[in-house]
This record gives sequence, C-alpha cells and structure tokens, in this order.
Amino acid sequence: MATFRRLMIQGVTSGAGKTTLTAALCRHFSSSGVDVVPFKAQNVSLNSYVTKDGKEMAISQAYQAWACGLEPSADMNPILIKPKGNGQCQIVLRGKPWQDLGPGGSTPATIETLREQVLTAFHNNASGRELVLIEGMGSPVEMNLKDKDVSNMWLAKATRSPVVLVGDIEKGGVFAGIYGTYLLMDEEERDLLKGFVINRFRGDGSILKEGIEELESRMEMPCLGVLPMVRFSAPAEDSLDLTRPSGNGAGSGDIRQRWMRELDGVLEKWEGAWDLEQVRRLID
Amino acid sequence: MINPTEGVKDDSEENYGKHASNLRSQMRRGMIGSNTECAHYPCHHQGQNCTFCFCPLYPCLDPELGEYVTSRRTGGQVWSCQSCLWIHRDDVTDSLFKMMPEIGENGLDERTRSDLKARLEGKHRTKAKTIMVLGATSGAGKSLLVAALCRAFRDRGLKVAPFKSQNMSLNSMVTGDGEEIARIQDLQARAAGTRPRGELNPILLKPKGGVTSQVIVEGRPYKDCTVQEYYSQFVPDEAPVIIARNLERLMRTNDVVVIEGAGSPAEINLRGRDVANMYVAKLAKADCLLAVNIDWGGAFAYAVGTLMLLDEEERKLFKGVLINNMCPGGGSLGESLDMVRRITGVPVLAVLPHVPSLYLPVEDSMDLDQRDDGDGTTVVAVVRLPMISNFTDFDALSLEEGVKVIYARTPEELGPADAIIVPGTKNTVQDLLWLNESGMASAISAKVGTVPVLGICGGYQMLGRKIFDVHGLEGSGPSEIEGLGLLDAVTHFDSYDKRTVQVLGSLADGGEVRGYEIHMGRTERLEEPLFRLRPDGREEGSWSRERKVLGTYLHGVFDLPAFRGFFLSMIEHRDAPKNNGTDHDAEIDSSLDRLAAMVEEHLDLDSLLRGDGDVP
Repeated sequence: MATFRRLMIQGVTSGAGKTTLTAALCRHFSSSGVDVVPFKAQNVSLNSYVTKDGKEMAISQAYQAWACGLEPSADMNPILIKPKGNGQCQIVLRGKPWQDLGPGGSTPATIETLREQVLTAFHNNASGRELVLIEGMGSPVEMNLKDKDVSNMWLAKATRSPVVLVGDIEKGGVFAGIYGTYLLMDEEERDLLKGFVINRFRGDGSILKEGIEELESRMEMPCLGVLPMVRFSAPAEDSLDLTRPSGNGAGSGDIRQRWMRELDGVLEKWEGAWDLEQVRRLID
Repeated sequence: MINPTEGVKDDSEENYGKHASNLRSQMRRGMIGSNTECAHYPCHHQGQNCTFCFCPLYPCLDPELGEYVTSRRTGGQVWSCQSCLWIHRDDVTDSLFKMMPEIGENGLDERTRSDLKARLEGKHRTKAKTIMVLGATSGAGKSLLVAALCRAFRDRGLKVAPFKSQNMSLNSMVTGDGEEIARIQDLQARAAGTRPRGELNPILLKPKGGVTSQVIVEGRPYKDCTVQEYYSQFVPDEAPVIIARNLERLMRTNDVVVIEGAGSPAEINLRGRDVANMYVAKLAKADCLLAVNIDWGGAFAYAVGTLMLLDEEERKLFKGVLINNMCPGGGSLGESLDMVRRITGVPVLAVLPHVPSLYLPVEDSMDLDQRDDGDGTTVVAVVRLPMISNFTDFDALSLEEGVKVIYARTPEELGPADAIIVPGTKNTVQDLLWLNESGMASAISAKVGTVPVLGICGGYQMLGRKIFDVHGLEGSGPSEIEGLGLLDAVTHFDSYDKRTVQVLGSLADGGEVRGYEIHMGRTERLEEPLFRLRPDGREEGSWSRERKVLGTYLHGVFDLPAFRGFFLSMIEHRDAPKNNGTDHDAEIDSSLDRLAAMVEEHLDLDSLLRGDGDVP
C-alpha cells in the first residue's frame, strides 16, 4: 500500500451528512497544510460537473476538490450513476459514459470490472498525496446489496481505511441507526469502524450525554462529535437536499467562492463540537 | 345469592323481584341512547348509552368489568359496576337488547345470565385488543399506519379508537366539544369512525419557540413548560395518571385500540422519561409493530438497532417489523429480512408499498420544507414563518385545479406569487419581528393591491395595525408592536385564555364556510367583516375590499369550496378561475380507504387481532 493516509466517512442513511462532513474535513486539513484529496467511488446523482479535461463527475466531489484547493478530476469519483427513469441508469465510468444498466443489470462480471476501475482510480487519485478522504454511499449495511458493494465496506477493506460513521439526529432514532449499523457489520468491518459522529443537532448537547455513553460502551469506540445543525449553501447532490435555502440574495460573484466561504462558516460553527485531535490520531 | 339491587349477600325474594321489574320496564322503554336529562348523567362516561341503566347481567362477577367494594350503607361487600363501560356502549347495548329473553318473575337466573354474557362477549370484547405502531424514526409512517389499521378494523365492524399518549405538533384542531387535539389524531379518529376527542391524544405539546411548549391536557390548555420542567416534573408527576385514565377508558369502551408511539422508542438518553413509547406499550400490554422507512436507506440498521437497544421484556412485546414506503422495483430484500430475525428474534412481518398521491395532512414542518403542493400556474405563496402552525389549512387549496402552493422564506420567493397568505403561528410577536427583519414584511406590503393577501389567525393579527402584549404572554418580546398595518385592526393579548371552538357560517354572498378557532388574543376591527357565523350571528374577520386584504381566525377556512372560490376569484389574470369544487372530506376518506386496502393486502390482520402476529 502506498504511503498516503486514509479516512473514510460512512453514513447511517442517505442524507446523513457524509458529503458535508467530508468537505469540511477536506477544508480543515487543507488549510492546516495537509495535501488532501477527496474520493467517492460511486455517486448517484443528476447533478454532475465537467472537468477541465472534459470528463464528467458528480458535483459533490468537485465541491470537495475545491475545498482541498484542487482542480476536480474524474478519478475523484470514478462511477457516476445517472438515473434516466424507467429503472434505467446511465453509468459514467471514469468521466465517460460507459453503458446503460437496467434493473438487475449489475452482474457479478460488471461488479468485478467496476471494482477494478474503482481501485485504479483510487490509486491514481491518491498517489503523491498525503491524505485521501473517502466518502461512502448510502448505508454500508444494506445486506441485500453487499455482494454488489463498490463504495462502502468493500472499499474500506480493500484500501484498509479507518471508518467514521455519521448519523443524522434530526429524524430521530440516531442511536438506533448507529448501533444497528454496527450490529450488522462483520468482525473485520467492526475493526475498521473507529468512531461515530452525530449530525444536525439542535439544542443543549448535555441532553444526549447518557445515550452517547451507553453507545460508546456498547460499541467500544468514541463519539467524535455532536455537530450542530447549520444551514448553508452548497451544490445540491440529490433530492434529499431540498431543505437548503435558495435565492437568499447574497449578490453576485462566483458561486464557488461563496460555497467555500459558507463551508468555512460551517467549520467555525462546528468549532469545539468535534474532536479533531482524535480524528487526526485515527489517520496517523 | 347476591341481592341485585343492593349487591350485598341477601337471599330475599323481594329484592330480586324489584330488580326484575326494573329490567322489564327498561325493555318496554326500548333503546333510549344517552339519557342526558337524567340527574346522574353521565354516571359512566360521556356519550354513554343508558338503555340498560339496570344491567340484566348483574352481578356478572367478572373482574374485567367490575369489583367488590365496601358498601357505605351496610358495611358489607357489594358488587360495583361503576367502572364497567361495556354495557353502555351503543353496539353492545344494541346486541344485548336483541338477545334479551323473556324476563321471568325472578328476573334472569344465573345460567341465563352467563349464557347471555358469553354470547355477547363473542360479539364484543370486554377489554380492547391493543396494537401499537412504533417508529424507528420520525416520519417512519406511524401515523398513517395507525390510520390505515383503524380504518381496516372499522371496516370489519369492530369498534376502534386510535390513541397517542403524547404528541408534539403545531397542527392541532378543535373538536365539536371545543377540545384541542393534534390534527393527525383527528384524522385517525375519522379513519376509525369514532368521535375526535381529547381522550385520544391526552397530552399535546405545542412548541412556542425557544425551549417552552404549551401543554394541552385532554384537549384543554394546561400550562406552559420548559423542556426541563416537562421532563423533571410533568412526566414523572402528572403524565402517568393522565395517560392511564384515558387509555383505560378507551380499552373499556372499544374492541380494538390502535396506539401510536412518538419518534423512536430507543432514545436511550431519555430512558425512564419517555411516556410515549414502551411505557404505553407495557401499560396496554400491546402487541407492538416497528415501522421503518426504507426510503432513506439504512432501514435494517434502524430496525435492528432500535430493537437491540430495548430491554428483553420490551423486545418481547414486538410481533414484527414493518418495512414501509417500498417503491416499485425496489429489488429483493431477502437476505436483510432474515438477518433482522436472526439478530433480534423479531420477524419482518411485511414490506409495505409506498401508496402514491395520498390526500392527507402532513404532520410536521420537516416535511413542509420539502414540498410545493399542486402543479398549477397560479402560485399561492404561504409565508414560511419560523413558528408556522396549522399549515394543513392549505391542503385543500393545493387541490384546486391550476393552483400551486409554495412555502416562501425570502422576499425573492414572494416575487412570482399571485396571492399571499400569512399563516398561523405559535408565536405571533416573535414571527412578526422575523417578518420585519427578513424583509418579508415590506415585500408583502409592496404587493398589496395587486394580489390578494390573506392572514389567518396569527397572520391576521400581524396584518393589523398593532399588537399589545402587556403581560408578555407571547414570550419575552416587546409589549407593544406595530403590525403591517394592512388591516384596520388591533389585537390584544390580555389573558392566558385560549379560544378553541368549531364554527360554521357564511360569506357575504351566502357561500358556506366551516372552520375552527385556536388562539389567544382578541382582535378589534374597523374593517368590513368577512363572515357571519351561526348560530349567534357574530361577525368574524376583516376585509379591506379595495386593497384585497383579508384576515380571519378560522383555520380550515379553505376546506369548503365557497371560500376557495372567493379567494381565488380575487386573483387577476387567473386562467379560468373555475372552482373544481373538490370535496376535501371525500378525498380524505378515499385516501384512508386506499391505505386500509394496502394493509389488508400485505398484513395478516386476523392473526394480528388474535395476537399471534408471528405468522408472516
């Protein structure tokens, strides 16, 4: 394995806050002088971005690249799935349309090809860097999809990356979501899981104390942060992101600069709410 | 034997004969329903059927129905029927009346009584079967599953009631008896075919902003509590008694009680302080179902995590997991379903499909942020106040052909509006300050005259000239605040009294209007009134005809077609401002029927009722 360090963010559900958490970590590490790069094996989104060399990738990984101060590159997101309706999806592989797949289209041979491509892109993307921040996709414990996994625990195992799990408290049941995800993992996966984060919290954090302590002792790993709910603007990844404000008249200017300013604002608001020292220790 | 009039052990023929003649005269009188003229009414419960004032089954000696007490008169043991509500149910009365044999000289003998009781029990349970739907998260679909089960059981001829011990919601409504309950329990009552009432939702919390909520108990405002006070005082000291008495009464007056939990039962930071989930399940000895929304992913993690964070005794109450909201073509879940059972011991009972295009009220404002309703070109912008309440008011409007309802947060979003509504709020003063600071107030004022502007309840108060809150009833805001000044009206908050009443009335042109008021504060107006209410002829609301500004306290004002047509007719250039006259109530009933059909198809309701739900 190469010399670069790795950290993976996985979520209890879609929309748990993986993308933002990854982008915030990208921003944090890059501003403290670390040469960091984002990676997400597979993204399902109709919001794509085209790189300087004319390749297509998810806009969320382009956003994370900007957070690292980098030019987006298709190897940061080698598989982009673009739903076309009627159960058909266009698969964009390493920046170029590859083929359309229908329901049941992902045969073992297809998965094998995709996994090879993901690993090649992963190493291309990471080589020469100090740190790769990997974002997972959806929940890592959809048991019926495990043999088709190219973006969660399969990748964590293949790249021996430590994993942090993020859960969204806003819809309730966050303790159950985190604990259940852990229970559905196998031994090897649980070994890679190093901690959890509770996202979108509103109010006085002391109310969660007993719950967090119980979970830490059941899972034998630390809670790395309780992140307050923040409203900010960022490129919309999918339909779950409609809660973001729109058109609030921040005036003209390059939207990307504004996204970065807002991401800095997120980091400010999260100051003290997470244990970045412990996160750094996971990586080293 | 037991003396049937006195209950004491007494063999005298004379006493029994007296009872027999009471029974005979009661049969001659026939079915009388509630005898509200009686000085003792209601001796058991509101709405009781009084036909069998003297019970033909007395003394049944069934500990589920009555108990021995010490007679005040004789000091001996007397069989008391005080807690029996069974014989006073309309359906039970009806069946028993038809079954009654000839009453002999000595009344009914013991054998006849016990035969009668057995036959009656075959038709009507003396104590309700309790089924509880809990959710792994908010938005798991609990509320609608409860409504679906209520409707399905009702359709089987069972007497059903929904129950939710504690609800936190800003969407409340007022029952015919002036009681305030969450709108979703009203919907469930409708599904069950039972009268909506405070008993179904005995504790309702209405957030007022910050950490304070108003606590409504059995439909009446009780007090304001901070989160801290609620959990440290109200929950341990007051909630158990309130919950127990309402649940017990429902169980004694129904065949089935379908209970809804709140949020997740596995909020382990609240262990021992949650009175809405496992606490109620244990109290009711309910067969529990755990609903999980599959739409967000991670459904199996939530199911497994929830069950495994509960203790053994709690977990045993669960008959199954319901995977909810499955979309067509969602693929096979085979492996995951087994895994849930292997880890938790609880089977997945059903994978329930997403039921599209339901016309039902939404529950909380989380959903609201993600929706624009209707698909028309006429845009009605509802101002998305931070403490918005009763936004179910707009469901009927979005059903109109050509109308799209949007929720506007910013002045820009008001731009394309063909009509503006300032909705109800849980905190008029705070939201009025927000309206000013956000620039929404001036954006609304700028559109006055060109598009109709309607204020409902708190929104109505804001559209007026001034609001006085000298006692700080709306929180720590200013005691006097300028309104938008679009209506010549002034509002005073001068007492903690809350007006909760259902009203009927008519528009100036005679169209029917129906609604309900839920508010504190009173408004003095100088404008033309909007409605004339019945029966007292009271004038309600304000209407500034030239400026097209309207205000009313009536929630649900759009439910009947007349006011919808009236309001939309004020929009210029509206394409064919025809009123499609959709019947709100009929739409809701047909949605409930579709939900009931869905659970009938996917769940074995017979085995659920028997209590052996563990048969997939």
